[in-house]
This record gives sequence, C-alpha cells and structure tokens, in this order.
Amino acid sequence: MDDLTNLPNSDGFFGEYGGKFVPETLMHALQELDETYSELKNNPEFIQEIDQDLIQFVGRPSPLYFAQRLTDHYSGPQIWLKREDLNHTGAHKINNTVGQILLAKAMGKKRIIAETGAGQHGVATATVAARLGLECHIYMGAADVERQSLNVYRIKLLGAKVHAVDSGTATLKDALNEAMRDWVTNIEDTYYIIGSVTGPHPYPMIVRDFNAVVGRELRKQSLEQFMQYPDAIVACVGGGSNAMGIFYPFLKETNVELIGVEAAGSGLMSGKHAAPLNDGEPGILHGAKSYLMQDKNGQVIDTHSISAGLDYPGVGPEHSNLKDSGRANYIAVDDEEVLRSFHLVTKLEGIMPALETAHAFAALEHIAKNYKATQHLVINVSGRGDKDINTVATMDGISLD
Amino acid sequence: MEYLLTRLDDKISSLNKTSKKALVAYLVAGDPDLNSTLELMHEFVNAGVDILEIGVPFTDPIAEGPIIQAAHDRALKNNTSLTDIFWLVEKFRKDNTETPIILMGYMNTFLANSHAFTEAHCSGSDAVLIVDVPGESNLEELGIKNKNLASISLIAPTTSEDRIAKICNSSSGFIYYVTLRGVTGSSHLNIDEAEKNINFIKSQTSLPVFAGFGIKTPEDASNLSKISDGIVIGSTLVEMIHNQSDQKEFKKIYNYLHEMSKAINR
Repeated sequence: MDDLTNLPNSDGFFGEYGGKFVPETLMHALQELDETYSELKNNPEFIQEIDQDLIQFVGRPSPLYFAQRLTDHYSGPQIWLKREDLNHTGAHKINNTVGQILLAKAMGKKRIIAETGAGQHGVATATVAARLGLECHIYMGAADVERQSLNVYRIKLLGAKVHAVDSGTATLKDALNEAMRDWVTNIEDTYYIIGSVTGPHPYPMIVRDFNAVVGRELRKQSLEQFMQYPDAIVACVGGGSNAMGIFYPFLKETNVELIGVEAAGSGLMSGKHAAPLNDGEPGILHGAKSYLMQDKNGQVIDTHSISAGLDYPGVGPEHSNLKDSGRANYIAVDDEEVLRSFHLVTKLEGIMPALETAHAFAALEHIAKNYKATQHLVINVSGRGDKDINTVATMDGISLD
Repeated sequence: MEYLLTRLDDKISSLNKTSKKALVAYLVAGDPDLNSTLELMHEFVNAGVDILEIGVPFTDPIAEGPIIQAAHDRALKNNTSLTDIFWLVEKFRKDNTETPIILMGYMNTFLANSHAFTEAHCSGSDAVLIVDVPGESNLEELGIKNKNLASISLIAPTTSEDRIAKICNSSSGFIYYVTLRGVTGSSHLNIDEAEKNINFIKSQTSLPVFAGFGIKTPEDASNLSKISDGIVIGSTLVEMIHNQSDQKEFKKIYNYLHEMSKAINR
C-alpha cells in the first residue's frame, strides 16, 4: 500500500481526490493560508501555544474509558470510548477551532466566519472568537436553526451573529455556500474557519492535523490501558473530521481496522440518506473532488439524516482516498438504529451521545459479533447529546412544553 | 495541444479591426424556459450583443449572488440539463452561425458527462468558462482545454502577479477580469483598481481583457469599456428577464442592451 500519511500532495490531492476547485477570488487567500500554516506548523512557539490551549482551555487529554456494560451487552470485543464529548463546548470541534483561530491571529484577520450544521462547530468557533475578542458570523441552514435551537442560542450568547440560510435545502451544504460567498466578498479582513475535513486545500489537511491530537492520545492511552493498539476504531462520518482525527495517526498501523459510519437516514435503498461513500459517485462540491450525492446530471441531491451534523451530501476527500485504497471501511446505519442506540448507550453507560456520535455506536449492532472478547474496539465519542434532546423527544413522540 | 481558432477569435479580430468594444451578455439557460432562452439569445444579438454567455445551472453556484442563484434554481426546477443546453445551442446555430457562445458553469455538471466538452463543441459552443476551476489547473487533464474550445479563465483583484502570468499562458479567447471582490451582482466597482490590474494583465498577454461582475448602468459600462476590451453584463439582465417572465415581454431588456452597446462604443 502507498504511504497514505504524507498526503495531500502540494496541490492538495489525496490520490485523485481533493484539490482547489474554487472561484478565482479565493485562490490568493488559500495560498496565503497554505503558506502561513506550512510555516507555523513546525514552529515550537506555535505548537506550544496550541498545546497549552488544548490542556487548559479545552481540557485535554480526553479520557479513554472502558464501557463495561456495553461490552457485556454485545458479548463481542472490549469496547472503549474516546471521550471527546468531555471537551469544553461538548465535542471534538473545539480541537480545530482552537488551532485555526491562532492561524487567523497570525494572519492578522479581524473577522471570523464559519458554517455549522448541528451547531457544534458554530459554538466552538464563537467560543474561540469570543476569547480573542474577534467579530464572528455563523452561517446555518434555516432547517438546522430550527432543529438545533439550543446551540443557536449558545452561539448568540457567545456574541456571534447567526445567519439563517434559506436557499437550497436550508441545511449544512447551503450554509457552506453562503459562508463561501461571504468569504469571496470580504476576503481581505476575514478568516473562514471551515469545520470539517472538507473544502478546498489546505483545509482538509489543516482540520485533520488539528483533530489528530485525538488519535495521538489514543496511541498512548491504548498502550497504557490495554497494552496494545486497538483492533478497530469506529467513528461517525459526515464531513469526517472526528473520524480523520482519530484515524490519521493509525494509518500506518495496518492491523488497526478503521471503520467510518455514515448516515443511512431513512435507509440506503430509500435514497433519503447522507451516505456518499456508500451510495455516491465522485464529484466536485465546495472546492474539492470527493464522493458526492448527485444525480446523473451532476446536480447535488437532497440529503436526509436525523442528525444535522451528518446531513451533508459530500465527505472529506481524504476519506474518499481511504475508501478507494481499502485502508478504511465505510458502512451506514439508519435513523431508527441510531435512535435505539442513543437510548441504549444512555441507559447502559450513563453517557448521552450526540445523534452524530450515536451512528458510531449503532454500528456495533452490525460489527460487534465479528470480534473476540480479547480484542479491543474504540469508539470515538465525538460529541455529547444535550443539544439533541428536542429532536429525540419529538422522534419518541414526547412533548417537552 | 494545438488550439484551433474558433468563431470567438474571429469575432474578436473583427471587433479589433473596427476598434469596437465587445458586449457580452449572460443569461441562465432554462430561465424562465428553454424556448424563451432561445428567443432571448437571438434578440440579444439583434440588440447589439457581440458574444453570448450561457449559464449552466448548478445546485450550488458559490460564485453567484442571490439574483443568479435564484435563476439557477428556477432553471433546475425546469430540469434544465447540460444535454438540453447542447440542444439549445444547436437550435440557435440553425439561424445564427456567427455569434460566439460561451458556456459558463461549475465543474461538476461537466464532470457528470464524460463527453461534455466534445458535445459542447459539436453542438456549436465556442468556449467554456468553469467558475470553480482556477486558470492554472491542469485544464487539459480535466478536458476543459482542447483544440476546439477556447478556455476562458477569471482573474480577480486578489490574483497575484505570478499567477496572472500562469493564467494568461493557459487561457485562450479572452481574459475575464472580475472587477470586484464578491459574488456576481455586487456593487463595489472600483474603476481605478480595475484599470491598474487590467493594464498589468495586458502587459502579460496579447489576449483581449473583458471586465465583468457588478456592471449595471450605461455609465459603469462606459467607464469600464475605456480601460478594457469589452464588458460582461449578467445579474442585471437575469433580473430583468425574471421580472418580465410572466408576460414574456422582453422589449425593455433589448432597449437596455442597445443602450449598453452604445455606451461602450461612445
């Protein structure tokens, strides 16, 4: 197998995926970002500043926790949880924003913009912008503003402005479109903090690198706590930043199985889902070539998922390359399985996962039987579920009013 | 790969000979419907338009402002596909073999049809402008650059000088200078900056430089035509087409184009 760890190449490609497919106005800003990041990423002071923020502001390292009752329930492998839900602001998203805000600062940008689906990235961005006193604008699909109202309020409390996007499907994809248009218009003073391993180069690389702290910690913790690397790592995949962050430091350990879990929505056969790696074709959206949900004319099709954070027709280009190379496997679970899993994990472990994360847990129903009791499987608990209480109640037919 | 001259190059050299500036008009195919688009194309030419730029609708047109976005959405509601647009151009060519046609769109719709660029040429288009493919990309590998189609690239106020040189080298037809930072239809025209940048572009290439984005009034047109070889009008036309689309009474638009045409050749 080719060395997958020294990608992307200088043009931003992971194999045939990735690149910079953007309007000309953005090219200079991307080049500038690429140069700044290349310069800073090996700078000891910059690294120290990020490390200090991750420890003191985010609360890292996140624990690796043995899920005894979940393990007993499935009678498969020993199930361990990488607790990104315990981070400040409640998800892995803060790992990326803590890093990118320092890039923004280094580049002298005064205005921060971001897109968000579930609102976790919006909260994580508004949080770091508040901390540095920077003006912050969050683009969010109008449908998501509705279903993630708690996070919308959190973003506002943090002093950022939320722009509800009505165009297209009024979800994450359209929020990204609008954020890119803002960036084209305000390119000189604005830094765009993309929230996943998507978008044009160098974003997929930068967001992966800032999230890779999760996988690096897991390498150390797994050796300390169960004397070996995990046999399998499972993570949900929308754009794919939590998955890429935990997968990347293990790409060379080919005996560690990497499993990404996409949103099958109402079922892969129904067509109403958000699983481009399972049921899409390569295409170009939001600056990169990657697997994409599209029709035969190359138009992007509507997606559906119970989880706003996974409700996106594309996926990070590095995942597309990992799929084609066979290094990672990608499966999909549907809304009903996810909801059942949400309840199961909450009751068995006292941990309420985000609906995004519940996709990774739901995969256990399919794969746990493939492992022996001596094997170790790690689930990346990418975020906590407080934000999803309203959605879960509605799905269960319970009124909270 | 050797590029053969197209109708577009013929048009440009004939404008040069008569020292005239080019008027390029943009409209979205299928908005309000394909037959109207066909009618508008012919009438645009009658009103003084030199080159037609046909927008290929896409679900996620990130470089477009609200006016053109909405037009893309309407065209997609009518299921307008690239194949329909090839049909449209072929039909137009039955009555007009002279006016150059540029297809402007986003890469994914072209990627979906493995013969898109061959079919574009065979049905009578002369050039393509793919908004989300930067000018120094490997245009041949993507199929954009070939011997029968000119490949138009954008240069923006933010494009660095070293990239301008590269983009000029890989372009044919003309260079499309984006007059502002922003999406189509914005209103932050900066003539001084445009003049400086267009002069630099001209120092790098013998290709003509057309200016577009944010041109609304005959005054804008007149000012920009003094510093460029032609202008592109988009959002204003698209908005006028939409406003008239119920009655399909487009005469106002032709008058506007006629005025713009006069303004650039004053």
